[in-house]
Amino acid sequence: MLLKFRDQRQNPSEDLKGQSRWRRAASPWVAAAIPVLIFLVAVHVYSNELLLVDMAIYIALAQGINIIYGFTGYLPFGYFGFFGVGAYVAGYGIIHWGLSGPVAVLVGGVGGALAGAILLPLFRLRGAYFALTTLAAGEAFYAIVSNPSLTSITNGPYGLNLATAYSSGWSFGMAVGLAGVAILVAALIKRSRYGMTLKAIKDDPYSAAMAGINVARDRFYAWLIAAAIAGVGGAIYGWAISVFYPQDVFDVTVSVFAIVFALFGGIGSIWGPTIGAALLYAIYNVVGVSNPQYFQLIYGLIIVLLVLFAPRGLAGLMASIRERRLFGGGAR
Amino acid sequence: MRFLPALGLTAALGMTLAACGSSSSSSTTSTSSAPSAITIGTTYAGSGTYATSSIPELDGLKFWMTQENKKGGVYVGAYKKRIPVKLVDYNDLSSASTAATLYNQLITQDKVNILVADFGSVLTAPAVSLAEAHKVVLFDQTGTGIPFFTPQNKDIVLCDLPESDIWPDVLAQFLIAKGIKKVAIVYDTNDFDESQAVTLKSKLQAAGITPLVYEGVPTTTSSYTTILNSVAAKHPDAVLEFGYQPNDTAFLQNVQSSGQHFKMVFTVFPGQLLSLFQSQVGTAGLKYTYTYGTNLYINYPKVTEGLNSAQFKSQFSAAYPGQLNALSLAGYNTGLVIQGSLKNAKSLSQAAIRAGAQQLSGNLTTVDGKFQLNSEGAQVGELLPVAQLFPSSSGVTLHAVYPSSQATAKAVYPAP
Repeated sequence: MLLKFRDQRQNPSEDLKGQSRWRRAASPWVAAAIPVLIFLVAVHVYSNELLLVDMAIYIALAQGINIIYGFTGYLPFGYFGFFGVGAYVAGYGIIHWGLSGPVAVLVGGVGGALAGAILLPLFRLRGAYFALTTLAAGEAFYAIVSNPSLTSITNGPYGLNLATAYSSGWSFGMAVGLAGVAILVAALIKRSRYGMTLKAIKDDPYSAAMAGINVARDRFYAWLIAAAIAGVGGAIYGWAISVFYPQDVFDVTVSVFAIVFALFGGIGSIWGPTIGAALLYAIYNVVGVSNPQYFQLIYGLIIVLLVLFAPRGLAGLMASIRERRLFGGGAR
Repeated sequence: MRFLPALGLTAALGMTLAACGSSSSSSTTSTSSAPSAITIGTTYAGSGTYATSSIPELDGLKFWMTQENKKGGVYVGAYKKRIPVKLVDYNDLSSASTAATLYNQLITQDKVNILVADFGSVLTAPAVSLAEAHKVVLFDQTGTGIPFFTPQNKDIVLCDLPESDIWPDVLAQFLIAKGIKKVAIVYDTNDFDESQAVTLKSKLQAAGITPLVYEGVPTTTSSYTTILNSVAAKHPDAVLEFGYQPNDTAFLQNVQSSGQHFKMVFTVFPGQLLSLFQSQVGTAGLKYTYTYGTNLYINYPKVTEGLNSAQFKSQFSAAYPGQLNALSLAGYNTGLVIQGSLKNAKSLSQAAIRAGAQQLSGNLTTVDGKFQLNSEGAQVGELLPVAQLFPSSSGVTLHAVYPSSQATAKAVYPAP
C-alpha cells in the first residue's frame, strides 16, 4: 500500500490524474457555491434584494430548463405553469394551513412536481407538439386557478395577499439557496450515469430504449426535477412579492425568459444557463430601466446576434474559442 | 474548472449592471434640515397592456409637478416653505415582476420621499407589501383591488378612485330605477372586473332581478363574437361588460361587427379614455353606449386645492395637447393628495406623511371630487355616476345621466 502510494507520488501523470479527479468531483459544488457567494456579497453592496431574488430565481429556472431541455431535448413552453402552481400552493399553505414561508416554499415545490406528474401523458408527443401542448397546459392551470367558481379555494381572480408572512431576508435566502441547489443538481446529473442516460434519450430515445434504458422513467424523473425547481421558484417569487394575481405568476414571460436565458448561456452546459440568466436579466433591468425606448430593440438585437453567431450560446462560443486556441485558426 | 473565472466575472458583471440600473437620485428624509428636493418615485407602463392607461396618469402627475415647481416647489408644512419636486420614474413595461423590482429600487436605492403606484391593480399589487414592509406610504393612484385594503395595512392611500367593488353602486340603482329586468353581465376574470360584476349581481338580486347571463371570460380575451351570440339569444334588455380598456374596445368592436343591437350596452373604460375609444371604435360603435361618468365630465368650479375643472382642462390641454382624459386627471389628483399630505405632515417621516393624508380625508375637494378615506386607506368619497355617449358634431359627447343630482342629460333608453 505504502509502495503504491510512493509510486503514485513519484509518478507525475498519476498525480495529475488524482488532481483531475478531485477537480471533477469538486466542480459541481464549486459551480453552485460561486454564484451563491456572489449573491451573499452582492446583497450587502446592492440593497434592492428583490432584483437579486428574481435573478436567483431565473438562474434556477434556466437550470430547470437545462435539465429538461438541455439534457433530454423536450422544450416546455408551458414551464410557467409549474411556477404558478408553486406560487399558489405555497400561498394556500400560508393562508389556510398556517405554514411558515420556508415550509410553504418547499410545499410549493411539491405542488410543482405534482403538476408535472399530471402532465406526464404529454411525453407521448415530441418537438413542437410537446412544446405547444405544455403551453396549453400552463394556460389551463391559469384558467383553473383564476376560475371564479373556485374562489373559495384559490380566491379566483382576486389573487393572494401573503403580506403577513412577508420576509425579505428569508425569501432572499431561499432564492439564493434554490439557485445553488438547481445548479448543483444539474451539475451532478450531468456528471452522473443518469446524465449519460438522459443524453442518450436526447440523441435517440428509440436506440436508448433498445439499449435497455427505461426511457419513460428516466425522462419522468428529469421532468419532475425541472417542475419542482419551477414550483419552488414560483413559491419564493409569490412569497417575496406577497400580493399577486393569477396572471402575475401564470405568465408566459417566465417561460420565455427562462428559455432565452438558458439558450443564451448554452444549454447542456452547467455554467452557461447561470451566466446567461445573470447577464441577460441584468441587461433587461439596465436597459429596461435606463433606456426603455430602446429596450426591445437592444434585447431583440442580442437574441438575433446570438442565433446568428452563437447558436450554441455562450458555452458553445467559449468552446469554439478554446478549440481554435488548441488546434489553430484553420482547425475544424 | 476553466469556466470559474468566467463565471465569477460574469456574475459580478451582472450584479454591477443591475446595480447601475438605478438612478442615484436619493434624497434625505431627515427631519432636522430641509432637503433640497422632494423626490417622488413611481413606475409607469411605457409599453404593453397597460400603457394606454398608465402614460396619461404619469402625464397628469408630471403636470402637477410642473405647476408646483413653477411656484418654487411643493409646500412642506414641516419646514414651512416650498421645496422643489423631483420625479424618479421607471418603465415597468406592464410587467408586475418588473414593477416589483422597480418599486424596491425606488424604496431601497433611490430612497424616495413619496412612493406612487402605477396604474391599476395588477401593477399596484407588487408595491403593496413592499411599501408595508418598509413602512413607506404608498400613494395608490388607481389600484382599487380589494386585497390591498386590510386593517393591518396602514401604509396605503387610495387617491383617485373608489374601491372597485363599489363602482357599480350607482349603475345598479340606474338599472333598477329604469325597470330593466333582463340583464346580461359579461366580465373579465380579474379582481378589478369581477368585483364589479359581483357587486352588481348582488345588488340586482336584492331587487329581485336575476341576470340572464353571468359569464366570466379570461382577461386576455380579444374576441367576444361567440359570447355575444349566446347573449343575444337570451334577448336581454341590457348588456354590461366589465373589462380593461383592450377588452372594452374588442367588445364594442365585436358588437358593431356582429350586427347585434341591444337596448343598452355598458362598458367601463370609454368614460376614462374617450378619445382613444373614438379612434378605435368610432362614433357608430360608441353612440348611446353607457359607461362610468368620471370626474372629468363633472364640473367642480370650487376646489380646496389645485385648479378647478375649467382651469385644469384648459391648462392641461395646452401642456399636453390631445392627452386630456380621466386618467390624466387622476394623475393630477394624485399630485394634489400628495401636496395636501405634505402640507399637513409634521415632518417628512413616512408616518407623518400618512397622518397628513388622513387629515385630508373629508377636507379636500379637487377637480376629481371629494377625497375621503376609510379606516383601511381606501377612497370612499367619489361615486361614479352613470354616463351615456351621445352623438355630436365632434363624434360623441359624454353626459352623466344618473343620478339626477349629477345628470347633465336624460338617458336615451332603449338605444335607437
